[in-house]
Amino acid sequence: MTGVTKESETLAGKRPSMTSVVNPTVRSKVKSADVSVWVLNQMLAALRNRSLNLLKSLSSWKQQELCLRLSSLSTVSGTDDGLLNLQDVEKILTDVRADDVKVIPVGEKCDWTDYMVIATGRSTWHVKNIAQAIIYKAKQRQREVGAKQMMLPSVQGQDTGKWVIIDSGKVIVHALDENARAYYNLEDLWTSEPSKSATVQDLQKAFVKVRRKNNSKKPVEKSA
Amino acid sequence: MIQPQTHLNVADNSGARELMCIRIIGASNRRYAHIGDVIVAVIKEAVPNTPLERSEVIRAVIVRTCKELRRDNGMIIRYDDNAAVVIDHEGNPKGTRVFGAIARELRQLNFTKIVSLAPEVL
Repeated sequence: MTGVTKESETLAGKRPSMTSVVNPTVRSKVKSADVSVWVLNQMLAALRNRSLNLLKSLSSWKQQELCLRLSSLSTVSGTDDGLLNLQDVEKILTDVRADDVKVIPVGEKCDWTDYMVIATGRSTWHVKNIAQAIIYKAKQRQREVGAKQMMLPSVQGQDTGKWVIIDSGKVIVHALDENARAYYNLEDLWTSEPSKSATVQDLQKAFVKVRRKNNSKKPVEKSA
Repeated sequence: MIQPQTHLNVADNSGARELMCIRIIGASNRRYAHIGDVIVAVIKEAVPNTPLERSEVIRAVIVRTCKELRRDNGMIIRYDDNAAVVIDHEGNPKGTRVFGAIARELRQLNFTKIVSLAPEVL
């Protein structure tokens, strides 16, 4: 009780304009009720704001996504940027006699590339040569376009030649030797169904508050 | 913020379960490693009957950190755990699948192999 009275006193002290006719404890109660109503209002307003913002941001995301899709489409069909395209890659791979070439369109499965091309080389030398041929072609194309700055694909794993990746943005070429291809099994990964099981209903279910069942055998402790 | 003695989860099916960072590769006197850095780590816990064993020293790439990753567009990515993918000295991943979401910065840091094995790229 002492704490409460002290609080009320301090409140009264902070507000000297209030007349001291009202009992200080009563005043403090009124004040706390006011404060709680005010806090509730604030919370509601914040919630409303937040939900509005969420909606807005969601719509803007969608728009951005659309824009991105459109821009990617335009780059594919429109101007020639001198990057490797699928036909080039396929032609080179047949020219260097890469085995078992597989083209997988992965546009709907992942958003960071459009096509994966998987090819097998007979030896590490062969794998390295496949990579070299593709890089050579990329350089040639850049020269044809007359780009001021060469945009070459990034190449990884070329010093060993087990698994060489040539990453030219929309098309990613994997050149592997036979063992690595069997080991990593990339086509299985990218041709199987995407595990997008989390639908909107699942999300809604996840957000529903469920009271936990008490399955323990222990007797419930009674709080004194 | 991964430093020596930090324990990390393993985000692939290589057979290791838990790693401890013992060194950051790339600079002589660097304090912390972030997403996309290569570390030397020791396997603290491994799945039985797999090629990797406990107390083996391996290299790994950090793929998730609790410390937030900032992008230039203002996006901030922060994961629930610190996780790494075991690689060999040539940069090939030891496992064949990567689990969990992965940041697309790894592709710019020349870890496209890991990105192409991952189910989700943020």
